[in-house]
Amino acid sequence: MPDSVLRGRGLTKRFGGLTAVSDVDIDVVRGEILGLIGPNGAGKSTLFRLISGVMKPSAGTIELLGKPMTGKSPNAICVAGIAFTHQIVRPLRELSVRENVSVGAAFGRSPRASHAEVHRIVDDVLRFIGLADRADAEARSLTLSGQKRLEIARALATDPAVLLLDEVLAGLNPTETDRTLELIREVRDRGVTIVMVEHNLRAVRSLCSRIVVLVEGHKIVEGAPDAVLSDQRVVDAYLGSAAHA
Amino acid sequence: MKLLSDRRALGAIALLVVALLAPLGLGGWEYGLDVLFLIFLYGAMASSWNLLGGFAGQVSFGHAAFLGIGAYTTAILSARGVPLPFAVVASALLAGVFSLLIGVPAFRLRGPYFSIATIGIGEATRLIALNWTGLTGGASGLTLAEAPTIHVQYYAALALCVVAVLFSVWTKWSRFGLALAAVRQDPDAAETLGVHTTLAKINALFASACLIGAAGSLYAVHYLFVSPDSVFGFSTSIAFVIMPIIGGIGTIAGPIVGAAVYTFIREQFAATLANADLLAFGLLLIAIVVFEPRGIAGIAKRAQRAISKRTEKAAPDAG
Amino acid sequence: MVFAETLVSALLVAGLYAAMSYGLALIYGVLKIINLANAGFLMLGAYITWWLFTTYHLDPRLAPLLIVPAFFFIGWGLERTLVRRVLGSEPIISLLLLFGVWLVLQNLAYVIWTGDTRSIENAFVESSVTVGGLQVAWPRIYVFVAGALTLVALQLFLTRTYLGRAIRATAQDRDAARLAGIDVDRVMGIAFGIGIALGGFAGSLLSLIFSFTPDFGRALSLKSFCIVVLGGLDSIVGVAFGSLALALAEAFGVRFMAASLQNLISFVLLVVVLVVLPKGIAGAIRSVRR
Repeated sequence: MPDSVLRGRGLTKRFGGLTAVSDVDIDVVRGEILGLIGPNGAGKSTLFRLISGVMKPSAGTIELLGKPMTGKSPNAICVAGIAFTHQIVRPLRELSVRENVSVGAAFGRSPRASHAEVHRIVDDVLRFIGLADRADAEARSLTLSGQKRLEIARALATDPAVLLLDEVLAGLNPTETDRTLELIREVRDRGVTIVMVEHNLRAVRSLCSRIVVLVEGHKIVEGAPDAVLSDQRVVDAYLGSAAHA
Repeated sequence: MKLLSDRRALGAIALLVVALLAPLGLGGWEYGLDVLFLIFLYGAMASSWNLLGGFAGQVSFGHAAFLGIGAYTTAILSARGVPLPFAVVASALLAGVFSLLIGVPAFRLRGPYFSIATIGIGEATRLIALNWTGLTGGASGLTLAEAPTIHVQYYAALALCVVAVLFSVWTKWSRFGLALAAVRQDPDAAETLGVHTTLAKINALFASACLIGAAGSLYAVHYLFVSPDSVFGFSTSIAFVIMPIIGGIGTIAGPIVGAAVYTFIREQFAATLANADLLAFGLLLIAIVVFEPRGIAGIAKRAQRAISKRTEKAAPDAG
Repeated sequence: MVFAETLVSALLVAGLYAAMSYGLALIYGVLKIINLANAGFLMLGAYITWWLFTTYHLDPRLAPLLIVPAFFFIGWGLERTLVRRVLGSEPIISLLLLFGVWLVLQNLAYVIWTGDTRSIENAFVESSVTVGGLQVAWPRIYVFVAGALTLVALQLFLTRTYLGRAIRATAQDRDAARLAGIDVDRVMGIAFGIGIALGGFAGSLLSLIFSFTPDFGRALSLKSFCIVVLGGLDSIVGVAFGSLALALAEAFGVRFMAASLQNLISFVLLVVVLVVLPKGIAGAIRSVRR
C-alpha cells in the first residue's frame, strides 16, 4: 500500500507457551480510522503494546512512515509519532490536568522547549477536548470520562502521526459515548490517523473506514465494516466466544 | 498566585541578606557561625538529595557515597597541594562521574528496588574506602593540613546552598522538572508520552551527586578529617533522607527547613544522650509519613489554608 | 578437603540466612511491602535473648518461646496501627515508614544497652563437634537445623491449615481472596505478625553465633534482601534456594578476595540479579519451564 503510515509485518508475541499475537500483518492508511476488533483475549491490546513499544515483539517488524520502529523504547516511538491511550486510564494523578497535557506537548513528536509554545499547544488541546475549565484540577479528581478524555488530550498533545485508542468508549454512558465518537472524528479531521480497539460494534461500524479482526492472535479478516461484520468467520468467532462465556 | 510567589521570592531574598550579614552580627561567636555553616551545608545536601528523591521520587538510602567521594577527593588533592577551589570542582565532578557509573544499572530498578540497591551502593563504597588503604588511609582516615577561615567556609556553604536552591527552583519550573514529576507519578505513562525516563532520572542523579560532591569537599575542609565511618557511614545516608522528609519532600524550602531542624535537634542531643537524636528522628519520620507526608511544608500549607478560610469567613462581618 | 570444608560451612550458613529471610518474604508476599525494619527485629531478638540470659539465666535456646509470641503481637499491632495506614500509598511511603521503625528500634537499643558489643557465652555456644576431621561448632548446626525445621513448619502451615491457605490466597490475589470470603485485613495483620516473629526468632538464633551491637542486622539485612530477590520475593522455598546460592557465592568468592570484602559479594549479587533477572531465580525457572 503506497499510503501506508504504519506497517507491521509478521508481528508475533509469545508468553512462555502461549502465543498472544501470531504472525499479524497490519497496514494503516493515512487519514483513516482503522478498527481492531475481536473477542476477549484475541491479542488486540497486546498488538497495541507491541506497536507502542511497551512490549518487544518475539518476531516481526514495525515501520512508521518507512522508518523501522521494532525494538525501540516507548518514548522513542512516541517521539517518532505513535501515541496511544491506556485501556485502564493512567493519569499522572497528583499533577494538574494542564501539567498532564504539558508532558505530552513538551516531550512528544515535536517537543517544545519554550514555556509559551507548550502553553499554546496545551490551551489548544484542552479547549478542543473540552477540559479547559478543569485545567488546574488534579488529574485524579476528574470523573472516569474526564480521565479518558485526558488520556486522549495528552496523546494529542504529543502531535502524533498515528493515534492508538484502546477501548476509549468502555465505561462511558450513551451521552458520553456520542460525544467521544464525535471527538474521534474531529481528531481524524485534524489529520491524525487513528487505530482503535473497540468492543462497541455499533460505534466501530459508524466510525471506521476499515476493520481488522483478530481471533486467538491471528488476523482472520480485514476490509470494509459492513463486509467484515457480516463475514461468517467473524460471526462464528463472536458467537463462539459468547457460547464459551 | 503571582503575588504569593513574589512574596516568597522577597522572603528568600530577605533571608539571604540576613545570612550574608550574619557573620558581622555574630562577631567572634564561633559556635554560632559553626551551626549556621552546618545548616547551610546540610541544606545544600538535603536540597540536592531532594532533586532525585523528591522531584523524581527515587528515594536513595546511599547518598553518603557521593559525600564521601567528594570529601576524600578534597582530602587527597589538598595533601598534594591543589588549591581549594579546584579541589571543590574536582570533588563535584568525580562524584558526578561515579553517579553515572552506578545510575545506569541502578535505574533499571523501580521504586523500592532502586532504594534497596542504594543501601548496597552506600555500603559498598564504605567498604572500598575502608579497604583501599593506599589511597584512603583505611579505617584511620585522612587528615587535612590547613583549613580556610570559618568565614570563608561559611560563605562557601552559603553559596553552595543558594546554588542548590536556585537549581531546584529552575528544575521545578522547567521542562526537566516536568519530566521528573511525570516519572515520580507514573514512569510507564511518562514513557508513553515521550519522556526518556531513564535519562531524566540519570540527569537528576548526576546533578544531585555533583552538588553533594562539592558539599563533601566543604565537609572535609571544615572537619579537617575524613574517615569511612564519618562520611561514608550509614548514618550520613540516613541524614540525607531525614532532612527533606522533615521539611517537606519535593518542595523547594522543605529541605532547607529540614536541615535547620535536623541540625538543631542534633546539637540539642549531642551533649546529652548519644543516639537519642536518631531515635527522635525515627519517631518524627514515622509521624510524618503516617500523618503528613509533606512534612513541615504540608503543615504550613494546612495552616495557611485554615487562616485564609477564617479570614474569608470574617470578611463579610468586617465589610 | 578445603572444598568439602567450604561446602559444609556454606550449607550451614545457608540455614542461618534462610532463617532470617523467611519473614521478609512472607511480608512481601502478602502485603507487597519491603520490611526495612527487619534488621531492627533481628537485632532486638538477639538482645532480648542476651538480656534474658544475663539477667534471668534463661537458656538462650529457650528464649524463642517468649520472643516468638511477643514479636507476633508487636508485629500484629504495628500492622494495625501504622502499616495499614500507608498500604494504599506509593510503595516508597511504606518503605520510609518501616525505615523509621528500624531507626527507632536501633536507637532505642543504643539508649538502653549502649553501643558496646555483646555476646552470649555459655558451654553450648562454645561447644563443637569433629566430623571426619572437620571441626564444626554446635551452635551452627543448631541454627541450621532450626532454619530447616522452620522451612518445613512454614510450608506445612501455609499448605495444610485454613489460615495458611488464606495467607497464600491473599498473597496471590488480594481482591479474589476477599471475594472468596477471606477476611483479608485480618490475614494481613497476622501475616505481618508472623513475619516479625520470624525476624525475632532468627535474631535469637543469630545471638548464639555472632556478637552484636544495636547496628547488628544491617549487613545481614542486605543479604536478606539479596536472598529474597534471588528467590523471587514471595516464595518460601525460593528463600531456601536463594540462601544457598548466596552462601555458596560468599564461601567460594571469599577465596578470591579479602575477607573484609565478603559483604560486597551479596551487594554485587543483589545488583546483578536485580538487573539481569528481575523476577529472581524462581521467576526465571518458571518462565523457562513455560
